[in-house]
Amino acid sequence: MLDLRTPTGWFFSILGVILLGLGFFSPGHASLTTLNVDLYSGIPILVFGGVMLFLARSRS
Amino acid sequence: MKLAPVDYLILAIYFGFVLGIGWRLKRSVASSGDFLTSGRSVPVWITSLAFLAANLGAQEVIGMSASGAKYGIMTAHFYWIGAVPAMLFVGIFMMPFYYGSRARSVPEFLKLRFDEKTRGLNAITFAVMTVFSSGVSMYALGLLLQLVLGWSFTASVLLSAAIVLVYTFLGGLTSAIYNEVLQFFLIVLGFTPLAILAVTKAGGWSGMQSRLPEVMTHSWRNLSSASQNPMGVDAFGLVAGLGFTLSFGYWCTNFLVVQRAMAADSMSAARRTPLIAAFPKMAMPFIVILPGIAALVLAKMNVGYVLPMKGDTYDYDQVFTTLMAQFYPSGMLGVGLTALMASFMSGMAGNVTAFNTVWTYDIYQSYIKKNAPDAHYLKVGRMTTIVGTGLSIATAYVAQHYNNIMDILQLVFGFVNAPLLATFLLGMFWRRTTGHGAFTGLATGTSVAALTLSLTVAEHKGGWIAELHHFPSTMAQNFYIALLAFVSCFVVTVVVSLFTKPRPPEELQGLVYSLTKFPQETGVSWYRKPAPVAVLVIAMLLALNLWFR
Repeated sequence: MLDLRTPTGWFFSILGVILLGLGFFSPGHASLTTLNVDLYSGIPILVFGGVMLFLARSRS
Repeated sequence: MKLAPVDYLILAIYFGFVLGIGWRLKRSVASSGDFLTSGRSVPVWITSLAFLAANLGAQEVIGMSASGAKYGIMTAHFYWIGAVPAMLFVGIFMMPFYYGSRARSVPEFLKLRFDEKTRGLNAITFAVMTVFSSGVSMYALGLLLQLVLGWSFTASVLLSAAIVLVYTFLGGLTSAIYNEVLQFFLIVLGFTPLAILAVTKAGGWSGMQSRLPEVMTHSWRNLSSASQNPMGVDAFGLVAGLGFTLSFGYWCTNFLVVQRAMAADSMSAARRTPLIAAFPKMAMPFIVILPGIAALVLAKMNVGYVLPMKGDTYDYDQVFTTLMAQFYPSGMLGVGLTALMASFMSGMAGNVTAFNTVWTYDIYQSYIKKNAPDAHYLKVGRMTTIVGTGLSIATAYVAQHYNNIMDILQLVFGFVNAPLLATFLLGMFWRRTTGHGAFTGLATGTSVAALTLSLTVAEHKGGWIAELHHFPSTMAQNFYIALLAFVSCFVVTVVVSLFTKPRPPEELQGLVYSLTKFPQETGVSWYRKPAPVAVLVIAMLLALNLWFR
């Protein structure tokens, strides 16, 4: 059976990379905050994806 | 709300992954059992998160933040008095019967415990209910996307339905469950930043408390009478109606959620499924309700946020999406929107897979074609996925044209599970309960509910026959209807059972508490045993209720 952690890990890693890329190179603007939301949200998403991939690999 | 190309890219990547998971799981479907019950082989962390996500539709996210803005922190009662205690009960006391009886569905359990007619009644009501509720949530999503993004109603309904259809058609229940877990993570990771940003901007919890009337930030303090709080409920109606009848009715008898636990790979895993799910469930109010309350504060603070309006009243259903549009730049906006689509899909897939199983096993195999080879039922299961999705789409369009009918149906479905709870409690804990008793009780309870709705009015709803009583709110009306339905079903079931012949005890083994050996968990660490985990949940629940009292 498919180990769900593998696709989950890949999905969130890709998402995290996209967000970090945006955060670093072309930070977007939102009307109610001045924070770099893509950067700060991208970090936990990338970390989560990485942890999932690590867990999937260490088990198999 | 304006989307950039990168937002569409994120949405497309997500669609790619859910379809990919369905494609990969196609290989592991060899029998109708694999397709409809996952062959009872899914690991416990997956069933737990799916148990939660199947119930977490887009309507819940949108609706709970709307209620947050409308009623304040009292909305959290739906979690901290409602869902979580009921989840503990189903895990500890009911799962041994569901999983141990080898029934494949909730209606099938009713057949084993009672008789064919009780199963038939439940199977048909449930099948109709799932189709309608997935149709109604599809309608809500289509409407929202039309309003916020200007997408065509037809395009968003058809696209999202098509994706759910493809991945459930390919991989069956396993595919739905696996995707529900992915969707759950996306909901948490996609919405938590919004909650943090909105609450921080509103001055944190203490800032919110100082800027709002006291009733919006206290969940228990204003419950001594219905007139004191915006929800229009009193403590008794809340605890007995919502906390006991509605919530226990939903979580303990609704096959949509129970099915996820029944897919677990062992009895112990099935019992722990709702218990583990209780932890994230307790935290959900922070992600879905707090942003709603924060929106109310932001609107008062002159920071540039205004509460969305429809005509000259507030449109609370748009609170969540307007917050997202103003706190998320493109990128995270795509993630947030994808999470919203994901929550819709997980809810819809839950309905579709539950409908499949009940239709194939409890209606088709029981009444239309018995004793066919298994491959035939696998084919029927697959076809049912298409038919079920088609019916949901049709319902979405009916809802678009006849808004009032949908209102009524949603009200009716709100208390369909309440009498069923009485049937289950009596069936599982009183061996004297008979099939005739259960059937008559169930029919009476449902009729009493419908009758009460026709005789009482709240916010211009109900009262088609006469207006005997006015409830201060539809919520209060709902709670009391559920309570009446439960009590009438309970009484009638007991009375009729006493006058009819009970089944011999040897037929009831594994189906009734006094005749079932409860699983003893020995030789495993405490966190793998149901009871200690439940105690931990209760302690946390008490702390939350005290903190926000």
